[in-house]
Amino acid sequence: MFERRITRTAVPALVLVVLILGACGSNGGTEDTGSSDAAGAATAETLRIGIMSEEGNLTPHTYATGFPGLNLTMLSYDSLMQADENGEPQPWLAETVESSPDGLTYTLGLADGVTWHDGEALTAEDVVFSVDYYKAGPPGRFATAMANVSQAVAQDESTVVLTLGVPDPSFEIRVLADVPILAEHVWSGITEPDLAPFDETTNIGSGPYRLVESDPGVSYSFEAHPEYFRGEPKVDELVVVQFADEAGATAALRSGEIDTMMRSISPEQIDVLRGAGSLDVVEAPEYTTTLLVFNTAVAPFDQAEFRRAVALAVDRQRLVDDVFLGAAVVGNAGWVHPSSQWYDESVETVYDPEAAARLLDDIGLTDSDSDGIRELDGASLSFELLVASNNALRMRLAELIGEQLGEVGIGVEVSSVEMQTLDDAVWPGYDVAQGRNYEMSMWGWSASSQADIGQMASLVSSDPAIGNLNVTGYADPETDALAVELDTELDPTARAEVADQLQQRIAEEVPFVSLLHPNGAYGYNPDVFGDWVSITGSGPMTKLSFIPDDGQP
Amino acid sequence: MNARRLGLARLGQYAIVLVVAVTLNFALPRLMPGSPLALIAGVEAGEMTPEERAAVTADAGLDEPLVVQYLTYWKSILTLDFGYSFRQGTPIEELVLGRLPWTLLLTLTALAVSGTVGIALGAFSAWRRGSRWDVGSLSFMIALESTPQFWLGMLFIALFSVSLGWLPSFGATTAGADLSGLAWVADVAEHAALPVLTLSILSIPAVYMAMRYSTLSVLGEDYIRTAQAKGLRPRAVMMHHVVRTALLPVTTVLALRLGWAFGGTVVIETVFSYPGLGRLMYDAVSARDYPVMQGTFLVFTIAVLLANLLADSLYPRLDPRTRV
Repeated sequence: MFERRITRTAVPALVLVVLILGACGSNGGTEDTGSSDAAGAATAETLRIGIMSEEGNLTPHTYATGFPGLNLTMLSYDSLMQADENGEPQPWLAETVESSPDGLTYTLGLADGVTWHDGEALTAEDVVFSVDYYKAGPPGRFATAMANVSQAVAQDESTVVLTLGVPDPSFEIRVLADVPILAEHVWSGITEPDLAPFDETTNIGSGPYRLVESDPGVSYSFEAHPEYFRGEPKVDELVVVQFADEAGATAALRSGEIDTMMRSISPEQIDVLRGAGSLDVVEAPEYTTTLLVFNTAVAPFDQAEFRRAVALAVDRQRLVDDVFLGAAVVGNAGWVHPSSQWYDESVETVYDPEAAARLLDDIGLTDSDSDGIRELDGASLSFELLVASNNALRMRLAELIGEQLGEVGIGVEVSSVEMQTLDDAVWPGYDVAQGRNYEMSMWGWSASSQADIGQMASLVSSDPAIGNLNVTGYADPETDALAVELDTELDPTARAEVADQLQQRIAEEVPFVSLLHPNGAYGYNPDVFGDWVSITGSGPMTKLSFIPDDGQP
Repeated sequence: MNARRLGLARLGQYAIVLVVAVTLNFALPRLMPGSPLALIAGVEAGEMTPEERAAVTADAGLDEPLVVQYLTYWKSILTLDFGYSFRQGTPIEELVLGRLPWTLLLTLTALAVSGTVGIALGAFSAWRRGSRWDVGSLSFMIALESTPQFWLGMLFIALFSVSLGWLPSFGATTAGADLSGLAWVADVAEHAALPVLTLSILSIPAVYMAMRYSTLSVLGEDYIRTAQAKGLRPRAVMMHHVVRTALLPVTTVLALRLGWAFGGTVVIETVFSYPGLGRLMYDAVSARDYPVMQGTFLVFTIAVLLANLLADSLYPRLDPRTRV
């Protein structure tokens, strides 16, 4: 499951103003020494949370963004499994999960005593209904997830058997731990789920919170579900307010009008907020990626040697230090985040501009007219690098990358374009089969692209059915074969071996350059609430933070 | 040409402008690069098969030829049925009508405040032309005129919300507070205070300049000299003869601003995270939510046209010299 992380970084000037004012007002209080262990009140009556993206009504069919929209929606719903702190799927609504050796049958035993918000019991029939309802409903994340489930049968009140069309090694993380289970007695009467309005029935889920007020674009209120099957939630009421931009939300956090925000703050704000006295920041590595992508149909990006030279010429550590002030993790040449259990340590990420220059010389790209830029068939080796104009950090990255590539004789002209225009150039119609219309671009995928290792195949396979995120148009038979294996290998040990091989292949072939992973950094007021539970790679802003210790997966 | 025929001709002109504007409202979203697919399909557009994508596009009516879409749009205007937002799945009327009162609260209050203050200061400045007061306020107004809205807004937030903690920095009401009666009114007023203050202050210069200039030109008229010559006190000349006449062109300025008031104010509503029409429009543009874009543009178009019509018809009533 991918989703483009829709970042609307505030107008830099606004941030700057807040920053300056913030710095003036700060009393230089003691600084938390970079510890990611958050601390603060363990329970709260009300927690006010700022968000910045426009959301719809928060149901599985009408939420708007992957983050924070889906995270908010999942406060009211549960899936059959739930990712734990390490990002591993664990039993949840399903207390037992057994798969057949051929990977085609999953037998799920549901937990006892789970009730919907209206007091009705959650049964196997609800699970069967949900599978069928998503499959019959409009296209979307959960319909796609369920497409491979050919049959769902309730064996008894609390046992469900799912039959898959083809074996899927990522089934637990991508489907069981992702798809929210719906109440049959609510949704069976709704024929157009994507237009379902908010009312006293469509807000019925089984999750720790019930949505009691919904004013999309303005605010939402959630009330704790005291009978929640994993224990009474730690916070009684969650009020979610919508801000137009990060600057406004940060100001409200500083003035005490909100207690936290579901948006990672910009790096320069981390110390400002920590120095503000009453606030703290929970910081943890996240899987969100920042990439340099290029169109492999444009010469000389069709040559692996040239792509390798580009990767060698980019000083990732400097990008992390200069632009993110250290609040990011250097991207690995093999794509996988170092905190992931799938990370292959043997893959080295090297910065070596001299080696890059030698590689370029070797493939005949030399600077014959001594203007500092190499030539390809007599024409200057220069490219346009697209970057979304609403993302100040990526704009700075693009400028730095332009300089670094310039040092090895590759000309780069940075063009900032509006986000939708960028999407349209790099990923027309969100369908890689429609080709691409750019030379180089700054790009990124959300955390879920790393949380499931199976997604690695979708980045590099030349078959659009597998490589649905292959925006560089990269095609290589050996890589394709590995991608298919990763997509089908059921044995965990063998799959880890395939994942290692694919990482090594990516490092060698450079279908894209993984630059860095910005750390998640969330400002909050520890006097109100601070008992955060982070999921490796996806951060603390999930329902796990509100579930009591003995109820954690 | 008699008055009735003139009126008809004018209405005809407005009708033509309306058709052109509505056509532009339809064309602009579709001329912009980028596609609303991600919005309609949710965030998983890339996960969908080409068939699913086609189905989603067809469902939103975006696979129809442009001509058909255009006619459908006209039908939706004439039947007042504007469809649903791609993002929120909410009827457009509901969205627009939900946001409009908040926008009008800000813009109309600011219009009243800036109108009153601008007219008073402008008249006074002209009356004392060349004095230290006039030069001082004129320079101040020019400085104010070039002050960016977001900057002043952020400054007020930093001062009144973050440092002093007097006023809320965002929203139209306290979320989740569930107030009623006077407490609700007070809450709304508190939340509107900073945006209205910012908007009012920044709208004063335009009115001030218009009033000052218009007063100055009236002061040079012969009949003012007559009034002075017949021994009227300066204050009486000012109140009865100068200001009344000088107000005429200023009403046009104010009437036109009334039209703009319906478009909301993107910057102020963004800085203060105020749920108004301007932000609705801005967010719709960023996300390519065609129905919402068309809906908000339409409100804006009609409001501006009506304001022009108002100014057009008001003027002859106020100033008999312009009657035909």
